[in-house]
Amino acid sequence: MYSDRRPHNTFCGHTRREFFWESGAGFTSLALSGLLGKEFFSEKIPGSESEKSWANPLSPLSPTHVAKARSVIFLFMYGGPSHIDTFDYKPQLYGLDGKTITVDTFGRGGRKSEGRVVGPRWKFHPAGDSGKKVSELFPNLATCVDDIGFIHSMSAESPIHGSAMLMMNSGRLASGYPCLGSWVNYGLGSANENLPGFVVMLDRTGGPISGAKNWTSGFMPASFQGTLLRSQGEPILDLNQPAGMPTGMQRKILNRLQEMNRKHQMQQRNSYSKLGARIASFELAYKMQKHAPEAVDFASEPAHIRQLYGLDNDKTEEFGHKCLLARRLVERGVRFIQVYSGGNHGDSNWDAHGDLVQNHTVHAAATDQPIAGLLKDLKQRGLLEETLVVWGGEFGRQPTAEYETGDGRDHNAYGFTMWMAGGGIRGGVSVGKTDELGSAAVESPFHVRNLHATILHQLGLNPNRLSYFFNGLDEKLVGVEGADPIGQLI
Amino acid sequence: MLSIIHNQRRPIWSASALVLWLIMFCTRPLDAEISSETDVLTGRVRSILESNCFGCHGANKTVRGELHLNTRESLLKGGAHGSVISFTLPENSALLRAIRYENLKMPPDAPLSPEDIAVLTEWVKRGVPWKGGSLEISQNSIRRTAISNEHWAYQPLSSPEVPDSQNGDWIRTPLDHFILTRLEQNGLSPNPRAGKVTWLRRVFFDLTGLPPTPEEVDAFIADETPDAFAKITDRLLSSPQYGEKWARHWLDLVRYAETDGYERDGTKANAWRFRDYVIDAYNQDMPFDQFVIEQLAGDEVNGVDSNTRIATGYYRLGIWDDEPVDPEQAFYDSLDDVVSTTSKVFLAMTLGCSRCHDHKIDPLSQIDYYQVMAFFHNTFQDIRQLKFEKTAFTLNTQTVIASDQEQVQYQIAQERWEKQRMVVDTELQKLESLFLESLPEKDKEASRDEHKQAELLEKVISTRPEAQRKRYEDLKSEIDLLDQNKVTPLPEALTIKENGARAPQTYVLLRGNAHAHGEKVEPAFPDVLGFDKPIFKPVDEEAPSSGRRRVFAEWVAGDENPLTARVIVNRIWQHHFGRGLVRTPNDFGINGARPTHPQLLDWLAGRFIEEGWSIKSLHRMIVLSATYQMSSKDHSQGLAQDPNNNLFWRYDLRRLDAEAIRDAVMSVSGVLNRQQYGPSVYPEIPPAVRAGASRPEDAWGVSTIDQQHRRSIYVFVKRSLMEPLMSAFDLADTDSSCPERFTTVVPTQALTTLNGQFFNQQASFFAQRLRDECGGHTVRQITRGLRLAFGRMPDDTEISQCVEWITKWKKEEGISQDQALLYFCLIVLNLNEFLFVD
Repeated sequence: MYSDRRPHNTFCGHTRREFFWESGAGFTSLALSGLLGKEFFSEKIPGSESEKSWANPLSPLSPTHVAKARSVIFLFMYGGPSHIDTFDYKPQLYGLDGKTITVDTFGRGGRKSEGRVVGPRWKFHPAGDSGKKVSELFPNLATCVDDIGFIHSMSAESPIHGSAMLMMNSGRLASGYPCLGSWVNYGLGSANENLPGFVVMLDRTGGPISGAKNWTSGFMPASFQGTLLRSQGEPILDLNQPAGMPTGMQRKILNRLQEMNRKHQMQQRNSYSKLGARIASFELAYKMQKHAPEAVDFASEPAHIRQLYGLDNDKTEEFGHKCLLARRLVERGVRFIQVYSGGNHGDSNWDAHGDLVQNHTVHAAATDQPIAGLLKDLKQRGLLEETLVVWGGEFGRQPTAEYETGDGRDHNAYGFTMWMAGGGIRGGVSVGKTDELGSAAVESPFHVRNLHATILHQLGLNPNRLSYFFNGLDEKLVGVEGADPIGQLI
Repeated sequence: MLSIIHNQRRPIWSASALVLWLIMFCTRPLDAEISSETDVLTGRVRSILESNCFGCHGANKTVRGELHLNTRESLLKGGAHGSVISFTLPENSALLRAIRYENLKMPPDAPLSPEDIAVLTEWVKRGVPWKGGSLEISQNSIRRTAISNEHWAYQPLSSPEVPDSQNGDWIRTPLDHFILTRLEQNGLSPNPRAGKVTWLRRVFFDLTGLPPTPEEVDAFIADETPDAFAKITDRLLSSPQYGEKWARHWLDLVRYAETDGYERDGTKANAWRFRDYVIDAYNQDMPFDQFVIEQLAGDEVNGVDSNTRIATGYYRLGIWDDEPVDPEQAFYDSLDDVVSTTSKVFLAMTLGCSRCHDHKIDPLSQIDYYQVMAFFHNTFQDIRQLKFEKTAFTLNTQTVIASDQEQVQYQIAQERWEKQRMVVDTELQKLESLFLESLPEKDKEASRDEHKQAELLEKVISTRPEAQRKRYEDLKSEIDLLDQNKVTPLPEALTIKENGARAPQTYVLLRGNAHAHGEKVEPAFPDVLGFDKPIFKPVDEEAPSSGRRRVFAEWVAGDENPLTARVIVNRIWQHHFGRGLVRTPNDFGINGARPTHPQLLDWLAGRFIEEGWSIKSLHRMIVLSATYQMSSKDHSQGLAQDPNNNLFWRYDLRRLDAEAIRDAVMSVSGVLNRQQYGPSVYPEIPPAVRAGASRPEDAWGVSTIDQQHRRSIYVFVKRSLMEPLMSAFDLADTDSSCPERFTTVVPTQALTTLNGQFFNQQASFFAQRLRDECGGHTVRQITRGLRLAFGRMPDDTEISQCVEWITKWKKEEGISQDQALLYFCLIVLNLNEFLFVD
């Protein structure tokens, strides 16, 4: 089913690395060079390359097997939503409310072996044909459960935000590794060269902990790193012409610049592809200036669509804006879009250490309708089939209280829920289980790597083969251990 | 205890004995016994798995539930139902639940005995240690002997004769013979010499990271003496800007950053002193062997001083998690950072690959890794003993760097200050108690609460007699004055400190797992290089460190080490020619590239050692060589025969590095501030970039405009928020050693240089400079502008064309002369001829 993305003639895809150094990187797709090996490379380097033969490092590539999904929208519930108050129904927990029980937990407050149960603070009701029980926090999302595949047995390696964020985004607790979006673009390229291939939209309160480390390309070149996209104002950094520049002026500046740059290259420097690449990049930037504002301009979106995403409501407007933008980016071929719900620290995100009810009420209310709107809108346009929507945080929360009083819950990486929809994921299905308290995954536990493997697999990439040679190792998103996709979901 | 497990008769355990056994097993401190215990345990596990599980879950291609238990990898991978081992909650591992008959019933026929279950449980808790590592090691050592006998990098330096090449006129320095001979053998001729101005611009950027001024170009053209090139070279090498350029290359290698990374990304106080140390070392042409020793063991050398201590900041530059999920693993991660970085930077060895298993390609075993790690084992405090607010790093990294005299002076001043403050404070407190005494009873009670005290004092004070009130106010302001005039603290530096004379016992960690100790190892050099075991001088029990690193450092910097000189010579070559003689500068292993000119590499390395490890002398020979002075232009024969320029038939054109771009722009615009050294500065960054930080408002510091215009090496390096302009131009990733920068070309760079604030602001400074220097004379402005950017004199067509554009823009767009000049300047800063070096 899979084709081998490693060159066959060498160990560890070494030729790709050589290719890289020799080319100065970035003129032909790296993954492509990996596929084609050294021979391809040495044919490409000779002296006749002009700007025309320059290939954008993000130019599209074919997946290695038939892909179900073309794009990914990762809705990142930063801070860690409580699975037992959202999608993981634990009927026994209600009755235990306030009782102190024996349970192993590990959060920012360290390891504990007992705690006071905080019963789920919301009721659950069956929804859809599947009868999936969903908490009252998500009345709108409840109407979409038949399109959603839930994973209730997620587990991660860290209950600390910083390292857990890195794990969810890059598969490692340590920093320095490329993020999921970088791997996707490395493997597939972007289908639209006028827009970045890996886009990140942040909460208005700020970025997540560790900031740019959450969309870094790590040891891969910067061309694979995430680009911050704002739904309001200047969408991409430096996209707008400087203030005071007359409308037609920029094109004139570009024309003269290109003229001088071409003349410079013509003077016996034709063999240096970098010069041509830079000339070409100015034209692409010019096009991006036209296309990116168009992508973020909602003028063509009718009122009922705006309503669908909750743009007419103060509470949902911000996240709805980003969800609608995500759909527009998917339509334009952007490969990987990450949307953050929550930013900064404390209650600006899902990190409900204090007042659980208030925290989750705010964040669920801000996202419920927009996410449901996104799923429905994608579906009615036939886009859901080829768009993989992923929902979840860096971990879940504990069934017991963090402090002596109150209902705040500490972090829980032993077991939590994430869900996926579209992109070939079976809807109305729930896989894996946590124990009756929701404290740890006990049935079919899945590691973050399994989630990553599933995403790559749906995009047509073999998670155990997609590799990048670095520091003497064939690095993979799923690590040396490797991981298989979650079979029950696909 | 061990005998119980060894006992072939399988004693029937009572439940209490079992619990006792488990408790003893689990609570035992990690000590010498543990590896043999682990061995016994894994042996026992193997026999349980073999007799009960492998029937269905063994090595066969098709197994039940796609779960293979016959290798550790497959075990960890899990089966159709996901993973079966949980490191976070071992007791909940599906494997253990299955043998406890909780979810599945395994083995299906009959449950395992309680003691077998206990053994497997203990084994899972220990991170599933797996026997077999030693087997692989022995296989590797067989392979190793064959490889070490032939792999080029492990051989002692040869002393090649300088070859005789035919075209003697071309030769400038001996290294040219090596290049020319190879070209001649391949029927290629070297490109003609580049023009004088081209060489000058090249050597300016290469040695100082800055362009020459038009005046410097003129002076060089006018100088027709035979040693004109040598004079410029010496001048540049002795300029302070030389160290600022070359230190940056070293900082890339040693993963220099001023924050820890991870959640808080805390600042590494005084990291900048290490940066200044490196700049100084280059500027003083510190012998490279000394440079190596100071960084690796500056606290253990004879004649320790402030500088050698600062040099050991090297160990502290890496990423570091101040709130690790697994503190023990994190402790070894810090050591791994040191082993990986050190082996790559100084030896171009990827020893880090052997942390979990033997190196897949190079003859480096897992034992080699831990033997090298043992040299450094005493350098990080065991974080397990500390709460995270007071972690090993913050507790044990800062060292006062001041002379004895300064320390004495500080102490005297500090004592005097403390005494003064105490006197005033005592009187003040007396007065306060007096005041509070006068409060009504109910307030008196309340005044014991510190928070309320201030408020009550305020209230009562107005009721006191004038004299007392005045005295009170005077004392208060005296305290304030004293607090404002604290004694300046003594300077500190980020350094290493060992935990005393005794280093802990080092073990091989099975599969790199901190919780699974394998065999004991002692410090030793990588076996493949064939050195004798290190000899350690006995150290005093009271000594601050074990002395191990000094032995390692002296081995690295020793003349016999086949790698060190080759590695650094290759790096110097790399930054002059765009690529090393070995194209993989951090990997001289089997998987790395072979040197394109092995003899030249050895000859340069040998000469480098002979000349006292002098880097400046190496620069001099390189930049004065004919090889370096070649033109970069296309040549059809060269392109056809050697398109990758493996043989150096031309000098390769290349784009400036991120720092050089920023510095060159400010140099041309006239605002560059050449101030040296000191704490890092914060160029303004767009709010949109700050928004990516979790606390956007506190994410970045503030510097004055003048300070913002310092050279780029002085810009604060924050792991979670890299300066965006330089980041766009491929700044090094700071999380691991970066041997070579990428040169990416993406459209967002064009947005940065066309629309971004920095380039537009600099263009306006540039335009102002042109007006200041040339008055309102457009032709002069244009000429000057192009000269500043190119170095060369622009030709008449270029000038008249630009003048024409300006006239046209004014007419067509209705813009002012100043605005038109600004756009001209913006174009110049975007030109390839400006941003690339011929």
